[in-house]
Amino acid sequence: MTKRRILPYLVNLALLLAAVTLSLAIGSVVISPSQLWQMVSGWLKGIPMPKELETFAFIISDIRLPRTVLMLLTGAALGGSGTAYQGLFRNPLADPYLIGVASGAGLGAVIAMSIHWPYSLWGMLAVPLSAFLAAMLTVLLVYSVARIGRVVPTTNLILSGVAFSAFATALTSYLIISSQGEVRRALAWLMGGSSQNNWLIILAILPYLVLGLGSLLISGHALNLLQFGDDQAQQLGLPVTRTKTVLLLAASLSTAAAVAFSGIIGFIGLIVPHVMRIWWGADYRRLLPLSMLAGGGFLILADILARTLMRPQDLPVGIVTALAGAPFFLWVLRRSKNQGYW
Amino acid sequence: MFRKLIPAIITLTLLLAACAPAATPTAVNTQALPSLTETLTPTPTQVTVFPLTLTDGLGRKVEFSAAPQRIVSLTPSGTEVLFAVGAGSQVVGRDTFSDYPDAAKSVTDIGGSMGKYDSEAIVNLKPDLVLAGGINPQELVSSLENLGLKVYFLANPLTLENMYANLELVGKVTGHLDSATTLVTSLNERVATVDAKLAGVTEKPLVYYELDATPYTAGPGTFIDLLIQRAGGTNFGSSMSSAWAQISLEQLVVADPAMIILGDAAYGESATTVAARQGWSALTAVKDGKIFSFDDNLVSRPGPRLVDGLEQLARLIHPEAFK
Repeated sequence: MTKRRILPYLVNLALLLAAVTLSLAIGSVVISPSQLWQMVSGWLKGIPMPKELETFAFIISDIRLPRTVLMLLTGAALGGSGTAYQGLFRNPLADPYLIGVASGAGLGAVIAMSIHWPYSLWGMLAVPLSAFLAAMLTVLLVYSVARIGRVVPTTNLILSGVAFSAFATALTSYLIISSQGEVRRALAWLMGGSSQNNWLIILAILPYLVLGLGSLLISGHALNLLQFGDDQAQQLGLPVTRTKTVLLLAASLSTAAAVAFSGIIGFIGLIVPHVMRIWWGADYRRLLPLSMLAGGGFLILADILARTLMRPQDLPVGIVTALAGAPFFLWVLRRSKNQGYW
Repeated sequence: MFRKLIPAIITLTLLLAACAPAATPTAVNTQALPSLTETLTPTPTQVTVFPLTLTDGLGRKVEFSAAPQRIVSLTPSGTEVLFAVGAGSQVVGRDTFSDYPDAAKSVTDIGGSMGKYDSEAIVNLKPDLVLAGGINPQELVSSLENLGLKVYFLANPLTLENMYANLELVGKVTGHLDSATTLVTSLNERVATVDAKLAGVTEKPLVYYELDATPYTAGPGTFIDLLIQRAGGTNFGSSMSSAWAQISLEQLVVADPAMIILGDAAYGESATTVAARQGWSALTAVKDGKIFSFDDNLVSRPGPRLVDGLEQLARLIHPEAFK
């Protein structure tokens, strides 16, 4: 591979690694660089941790590391599915929540919250599982309503998605209002997801992410063809309806898995693909993996800010992504030399 | 139904724990669990016998080998209860909204707004007990447990007796059973005094308690509802179908409450702002100026200050009985 072809991947990977390192080093509890260095060098050399640094090491390995990995996976899912949706709908405003994943997940979560689950593993997973299932159900409903025979017109999908989203959101609000005191918990979930943060949930969402994002990664060529329009793509040999269905399912699966535990984090699915397009061009074979890497890195950075800006307050990540991301995107947009990068 | 079982289980466990044989045969069990409705004849120092195993509000078994000395409280009511039984010096971390008593303000803040706590800060404090409450979801309890912390979930009490049981439980666990028992006794006496003063009252004026300017009121099942009734009033919110209910102004005008109590006084509502609201001037309470500001924390935090709230409500609703 030529240097030019692997450069984007190297840059994105370097940024991601920098983000991960920062995320492990920075948090609401301040660990000085010298202490960090002491821990790292000690760990590399194999000498046991000095007693006074044990708590810090625990914070890094058991609190920050799972959180970083979760944010990485979530950001990758949102970045990848955002790119897929934009390619699928050929619309720069498309984001992973276009056809109802977010509103469906919110509804599922709130319904699960209105039931008092016993304290058990099942009780712990009830809300995220319900969110996930409701999200997928919403997408399937939207898809079946939008389908005409064997064709799935894009406009129909969008309209159907908007209608179902509005309905689900209204139903969610109604449930919140009429609930017996679960308002606070429901609102907290809608703004920032679950408070769970451990390896178990990462294992829980990993299969869906691997399946969803994996399918997307190999669909780069198909997405490129779809940019010519449904008819042209069909004539170029692409089984359009089947491809669209697979892409839709894969993207929705990844988003639903991400949303189930992290809540509804906006902005990344919309903006990260655009930044990648401006920097590296609109070839979907490259755009998909690059958006995943960048999405992960960006969300990790946003999460660092969310954890430390107003310590000990933990800001909802969605707020930080929009607040920090919007100016950044505008700056990239203004600086871009391409007039019609889309 | 499940919610009503939990306080009963806690009370029952307390009683059973009192009867259980001590693990170390040499330690004498001098603990006496008082009857909650009779006055206590003073017994010399009651000592909690450790090790102690309790079942918390989520049905989890929590073991205590000694009284915890580094407690992190996740709820404002939990903090109030801890300080009230005399365990204030054992509290090393508290949530953002714990503002009573004053001494609590100087304890390390560990987050808590929108249900998000700073787990790094909690772990860094190396607590030997994390006291969770009704507002904390079980996922939070589970995730703190996964970090190796000992968590005790104190279920929300539904009655004053439940609240007393919580006080005694916390007193027992923290090694302040004596102070807790004394506190419960004095709280009981104060409530009995209020009941006595209201014994001859025949009228139960309609009270509208405002939680929010939207307007929202407190419905059935809340302590506000319970305390208003205990204080000799009728709660306008009793007819609502949920605990936190947005009301219709038309219904309020038709019902025409005798007084308006502003639980949202801390958020800027006052007699002036209420009178200025469109359509509210039709209410008798507004015309007569019977609009009172109230510290909502006294009736919404399930701790010993509920009795303060009861006394203040009784004075507002039946001033003639307290002359």
